[in-house]
Order: sequence, then C-alpha cells, then structure tokens
Amino acid sequence: MHQNEFLYMFAVVGAGWAVTYGMRALPFLLFSGRDRQLPPWVERFGNLVSPVIIAALVVYSYTGLAWRTPWPYIAGALTVAVQLWRGNPLASIVAGTALYMCLLACGCQTDAQTLSYDGTHPLIRFTARGIKFQDEYVSPAEAVERLKKNKVPTSDTIHVLVDPEYTDRHGLWVFQYNYLGSAGYRRVLFVNERKATSGVMRGGRRFGR
Amino acid sequence: MRSVSAGFSPVAPRERRAVLRRAFVDSLPVLMGYTTMGFVAGVLLAAKAGLHHAPLWAFLSSATCVSGTFNFAVVQPVSERVSVWSVALMTAGINFRYAFYGFTMLARWKDVPLVRKLFLVHMLSDENYALEAACRYRKPSANLLYCLAISAMNLSYWVAGTTAGALAVAILEGALDPEAIRRCTNGMEFAMVALFLVIFTDQIRGMVRHASK
Repeated sequence: MHQNEFLYMFAVVGAGWAVTYGMRALPFLLFSGRDRQLPPWVERFGNLVSPVIIAALVVYSYTGLAWRTPWPYIAGALTVAVQLWRGNPLASIVAGTALYMCLLACGCQTDAQTLSYDGTHPLIRFTARGIKFQDEYVSPAEAVERLKKNKVPTSDTIHVLVDPEYTDRHGLWVFQYNYLGSAGYRRVLFVNERKATSGVMRGGRRFGR
Repeated sequence: MRSVSAGFSPVAPRERRAVLRRAFVDSLPVLMGYTTMGFVAGVLLAAKAGLHHAPLWAFLSSATCVSGTFNFAVVQPVSERVSVWSVALMTAGINFRYAFYGFTMLARWKDVPLVRKLFLVHMLSDENYALEAACRYRKPSANLLYCLAISAMNLSYWVAGTTAGALAVAILEGALDPEAIRRCTNGMEFAMVALFLVIFTDQIRGMVRHASK
C-alpha cells in the first residue's frame, strides 16, 4: 500500500533526523551559555565507547552478508589493510566492496553456503513484484526446489514473509498447498509484519489461520 | 537588517572570494567521496529496501540526516520493515559519535547567530567535521564563512549522490528485469560494512596514537 509506505518512511526519516540532530546538538544544549571546558571524563568515555559501538555495528552488519563463507572476511581484511596503508576512506571502501562483489560473482558463494533462517530472517518473501528466495526473485516451483536443494528438512516450519503490498491471498494458498504441501513441507508460517497467521496441514486438512 | 554579533564583522569581498575558493578546493576530496558513496547508498535503498518511491526517500533521508552511516544502515531494517523505535534506537547507536564532535566546536561557535548555528550543527558529519576542525582561518568571521561554505557544498554533494543513485535504479528498473539489477548490485551491501570498518580502524588508530603520545 502506497499510503503505508509514506507513513512508514516519513516516520523512519523523521526518527533518523530527530535522533541524529539530537546527538549533534547535545553538547550545545548541555553547555549553552557557559564557558565551561569539556570534562576530561567525557572525552575519555567517548574515546572508549564509540569504537565499541562501531565494532558492534560491524558484527551486526556482517549478518546481512554471506557470513558463513570466508569472502566477507577476506574483503574486510583488505578494507582495513588499505585504510591503514593509504588512510583514504573512499579507496578502502571501494577496494573492499569491489573484491567482495568479485568473490560473489565468481560463484564462490554457492558451494560453502548454508542457509540460516528463523522467524526474523524468512527465506521466502512475497513482494508486490514476485516471490523472493533470500534476495533473488524466483518462481514458486524454484523456491520449493531451492528448499530441497539446501536440504531444509520437511519437518521444519517454513517462514514466509508477506509484504503488505502483496494482497493476493489466493496466491499464498496455492503456494502453500500446490507447491510446499506437495513437496512435503506441511508446516508454513506466513509472517505479515507484526501479526502472523499459521497453517499446519495434517492429512490434507488445515487448522489455524 | 542583518544582525552581526561581536567578532563576526563582514568579510571583505576579496577575502571572501579567497575563503570560498579555499573551501571549494578543500571540499573536492569530499565531492569524490560523497557523490560515489551517496550513489551507492541510493542504489542500495532503491534496489534492496523494497520501496515504491525510493528516490524521494533517498532525497529526504540524505537531506535531513546528513549521515552516511544512517543512509547505509537503514536499508536492511527498512527492507524488513522493523518498527520506527528500532530504527531510532539503531540511529542513536550508530550516530552516538556525533555527540563528541560538537564539544570541540563549542568555543568556536559560541557567538554564531542561531540559524547559522543550527545549520552548522545539522552538518556535523564525519568529513565535514574533519575539514572544519582542520580549518586554518583564525579570524572568526572568515572561519565561520569557511565552515558555512564547506557545509553547504558537502550537503549538496551528498544529496545529489544519493538521489542520483536511487533515480538510476528507478529508471533502469523499467528497462531491465529485477534479476539483472540484483545480479549487478549483488555484494554492494558490503560498502556499508566497509564504511564501519574504516571508521573503526581510524578510531583504533587514533587511540593507539593517543596512548603512545
């Protein structure tokens, strides 16, 4: 829904702006109208805490990459090395990103890849433009094929994220029964932002929803 | 009627030109960095966040939160449509370091008129801060002019970069199929990780240097 996107993104941008501006304005608010020097502990605290936060960010952002393969770590090592050598952020970022993109494009990724999935990182996603398996658009049959190829056990619950823009309930139904069900995946959980609807098939009958 | 605070006498035209030229030359490395990084951030937002009006959001988010880390880090949460509170919390975490930039500018900007001060605070990004901190002009009026010029230039580079990136994807999306765009941008999300790694490396290097002094 377009209106949803507008509301959501205005809120996201607004929150980002408010927090970022607040952070930047903090010292001016704290020390307005006073000729006070920055207390030494504040500086020491900042010097200590900022790297810790950035380190946590590095770890978090690695989960968005193919983190079970060695490639993001090789690219990361190159980034740090170039930064230590040249001290030019742009050169380091371009070098690391180019290497990572090359490593992925060489097909180095597919062999060592294992899937990680849970409720927050669903494998399959229904978008307004089609079905996505991880980050790729696929056909429904191909999505099931990939589950099989990656040896996802049929006893597992398959999480399917359904975008608010995707409104074809019949399409979900067909996917659940004609594709997943006939391939042996009987436990399906449709996740729709906050609320989830589940369907468990037993002997062709459906409960829940 | 322009209010001129103490210490901010108008800059003479000749000096004004010199300061602006200096600011432009100093901003050239940032021009390279901001337009390319901004372009990648715009491409990522348009290609990975699943938005219908990505160029609009790229423009708004880059013009308001002038923060490379925010523009990159927000892509993954937005694609998962996490709650706004989570986004706010994440922003507070990644942009915590900005709180420490202002401290060194407190004395320098003490008498700057309000609106200009608000703009300078708005623009306290990593690269902008680095240039302002290294500014050689000691005279308050020239220094302020330099800071304002640098801020305005860098803001325009960053906004132009992100918007162009998002627009490029939006235009190509009609011509190319999503699969081709996905294949071309596969792995580009590493740019955000690389940005964090670079910031982290510099921070650690600064700590080591500080300790050895």
